[in-house]
Parts: sequence; structure tokens; C-alpha cells
Amino acid sequence: MEATNQLVDLGNLMAFDCTHQLSSIPSSREELVEMCLQKGTELVQAVADALFNLPSTEDVDGPIVKLPPPITKLPREKHLPKPKPPTKWETFAKMKGIKKHKKDKVVWDEQTGTWKRRYGYDRVNDDQDIPIIEAKSTDEPGEDPFAKRRADQKNRVDKQEKNRLQNLKEAAKVGSLPSHIQLAARALPITGTQAAPKKLSKDELGNVAGIAATATASGGKFDKKLQGEKKPKHEQKYRKFLPVAEGKGTGSKEKEQTDRVHNKLISKNSHEVLNIGKAVTMYNLKKEKKRQNHSGKSATSTSGRLKPKGNIQKKTPYKKGSSDRSKSNKPKTKLKRSA
Amino acid sequence: MRTLDENETTQVFEKIFKFTGNNLKNIVESPSHEGPDPEPGRYCFRLNKNRVYYVGESLVRRATNVGRQNLVSLGTCIGKFTKGGSFHLTIQSLGILAANAKHKVWLKPTSEMSFLYGNHVLKGGLGRITDSINPGDGVVVFSMSDVPLGFGIATKSTQDCRKLDPNGIVVLHQADIGEYLRMEDDL
Repeated sequence: MEATNQLVDLGNLMAFDCTHQLSSIPSSREELVEMCLQKGTELVQAVADALFNLPSTEDVDGPIVKLPPPITKLPREKHLPKPKPPTKWETFAKMKGIKKHKKDKVVWDEQTGTWKRRYGYDRVNDDQDIPIIEAKSTDEPGEDPFAKRRADQKNRVDKQEKNRLQNLKEAAKVGSLPSHIQLAARALPITGTQAAPKKLSKDELGNVAGIAATATASGGKFDKKLQGEKKPKHEQKYRKFLPVAEGKGTGSKEKEQTDRVHNKLISKNSHEVLNIGKAVTMYNLKKEKKRQNHSGKSATSTSGRLKPKGNIQKKTPYKKGSSDRSKSNKPKTKLKRSA
Repeated sequence: MRTLDENETTQVFEKIFKFTGNNLKNIVESPSHEGPDPEPGRYCFRLNKNRVYYVGESLVRRATNVGRQNLVSLGTCIGKFTKGGSFHLTIQSLGILAANAKHKVWLKPTSEMSFLYGNHVLKGGLGRITDSINPGDGVVVFSMSDVPLGFGIATKSTQDCRKLDPNGIVVLHQADIGEYLRMEDDL
């Protein structure tokens, strides 16, 4: 088993033995594991031998070896690209037999007698450089030929853009667009299968506009506002505090605040100013005193005997009522503030 | 350092009101002789890193010269705001509270030490007590020689205190001057 054909692929740091066979069927799992480990060790040894045989350069961390390119071919990760369908121009050119010619970047300009670019700044046949356009018989009197030329160019550009998008759509239908264009092509309006674009409500638009407006380095503070644009709905400062140290001429807002809070607190607890317990005890004491006085007087006149009816009625309810009334008034006035 | 906003001021005042009642007016409006200015300014409350300080205006103006990170303390710290946003009075407010307290409790000498170690006040340790205390009121605790020892919350009214058995809790401990030694780092 040792002198078998070993393929060492240093590019992938791999060693492969294609003629390996297990000589005997292992009886247990441990035996199988042991045999596999043994074979594996041989192969790793082969890799290490090949590695150390390579020429090495010295480095701070140790010898460095440049690995050769890998031998084994690994399968493709992605599928083969599908062929693109020919664009409209390509089909037309093929039909007509038009061949592509290479164009120079610079072209000889007859008018100025110099070599000028074919496109870009200071180009050869610039549309805007023409000073005079001769009137043709087919021209209408009120028409501006310069404007007409500009309009024609715009139309041509738009037509070209439309065709380009159409070609991309065709390619996307087949599925042969390269991936980066595939992503951008999601914006292509495909009739029939695309869902209607979601309409943003006024609030959502407002929110998004707010976010966009404040997404600058200084929070959108110094940007020029468009005509009719309103102030941001939300002020940046979320909490406002009074100034720490009061200036001389600014009045005292802090004093106002503390006074306000103070008064609110006092008024909330003002019901406790009337000490009900004290009032009740005072009332009871008064009642006791009065009773004692009355019983004292009656004790001197009628002691131990049954009192005649008249005497009982001496304590008339009317009298009692009046005295009660006075008593009920007294605690309120006599009460001291329990501060 | 910044001023307190309305909610914070209400919270602070409410807590102090529990102890002082209407004497809160004295605290807020007393003239302060703290700074070197000849005229007395007013006292104000400032917040620095969750601590509320009771400090005279002249000092505040001078303290604005110290950077926010460097400023450790100014005037008297009366309390702290917790992470949950509630306000607790600390022992350093004792001076202000004791001068304006509405409800007072005097402790017997034997139970002074117990209170200073952080225990609640039991009925057996009670010397004198002002009347008309309601349960839940703030109470300032004094020793028999009228030295303020700390403050707490009353559990029972004065009448009920008389009926309690000697081991019942009269005042729940909130802060005492022993904390200056025990919890030196927290203050």
C-alpha cells in the first residue's frame, strides 16, 4: 500500500491516492478509523515532503514558499452564461451586411485645419458651433432652425435610450443579463407583470423629506429652503432648560418656575391646613366643659331627687341648638395654623 | 450642571415638603450669604450628574467657570435622582431639613447608636414626639440634646404610637449621620 500512485497537488495542498483499497474489511469501527488514520498520515507526510522540497525564501516569521498553480480542476460554481440575444441594431446590421469599422479618436477638421476630437469638448461637427443656417424652400417662415436642431437631437437621444432599454428587456426575458445589470434592470418598467408602484401618503412623504433634509453634516440647518418649503415639523432640541446662571437683565425665569411649582404644591396640600383631629378634640372639650357647668348648677339646686319636668326642660333644645351653633363656629376661627 | 426642569422641581419639592410642610417657603426663599458678594442672593437648585445641589446664586455663577467633567460638587448636595427617575433625599440635606422640620422625634440615648447603625426607630427608643403626625409623614430624628441624627418616615400617627408595644417600629430609617462613615464612597 505504500508504493502506490500518489498524486500530490501542492496548489490545493492536497494528496490523492487513486489506487487505494482496503485490504481487509474492518471488523469494528475503531479498526476502520485506525486504518483510515494510518493512510491519512502517509498522504499528509507526502504533502509535507513535497512542501519542504520547494525552494524557500527566508522571512522574519520563517521560510516562505510559493505554491505552484493547482493541478486538479474544480467544477464551476455558477452556470455557464447564456448567450445574449442580438440587439435591434445587430439584427439589422446582419441583415444588411454592415460591418463594424474602427474609428479614430481624432478627426481632421476641414474648417479650422486642425485635428479635433470626434466627440467631447471642442469636437469636430459640434451642433452648437454652426453660426448660420441657410433657409431652405421647405422651411416655414416662423420656425427657429436652431431650436429645431436642438429638438431633433433631443428626440434622437430619447429614441436611443428607449431602444437601449428595450434591448435590456429582451436580454432579461431570456435571462442572459450579467448580474450587475440584472439588479439595475429591476427598475425597468415591464408592462403586464410588474406591480403598480406604491403611492406614498402625505405623512410618509413628509417624514422622508424630513429625514433627507437633516441627513447633511450640519443637520440641514444651513441649507437653502425651496420656495414654499415649510420649517421642519420637529425642532431639533427635545428638551429645553432654563439658563444655568441668570444674567443681569434677563429677568428671573427660574424664580417664576420655582414659585409656580411651590404654589401648586401648597395649594394641593392646603386641605391639610385644617387640622381635623385638633378641631374635633377642641369641640369635644368645649362640649364637656359646658356639660360640667350645667351639671354643676343643677347639682346645687336638685341633689339626688327626681327632677321635675320643668327643670329638665330647662335645657331647651333651642338653647342647645344655639350653643351648638356657636360651638360649631368656634373651632374654625380659633384654629391655629399647624405649621 | 443645569437647572431642574418642572417635573424634576416638583419631585424635589414634594420630597422636601413631606418633612417641612409650609416651611418649604423658607428653604426656597431664604437669602444666601454663601459667596463673596456683599448682597445676599437667592438659593437655587442645580443638577449635576444626577445629584441635586442647593446652592446660592453667586456660587452658581462662579461655578460655571469649571468644566462639566471637572465639577465635583457645589453648595450642599440634597439628594440624587435614581436611574428610574425618582428622587431620593440623602443625609447631606439634614441641615436644611432639621432647621425647618415640621415633625420631630427625640431618641433616648440608649437607642441612638442603634439608629446610627441604620436600624429603624422602635417605640422603646422614643423619648419625645411631636403630635399630629400622620402615617407616611417625613420625620426628623433628634437626640435628647437636640442634635439632628437623621430622618425617616413615620409609620403610625402620634395617637397610635402610644398604643404600640415597645418593639414596634415607629420611624422607618431613611438616612442618618452614621452614613458619613459607613457609606463614605456613595455620598
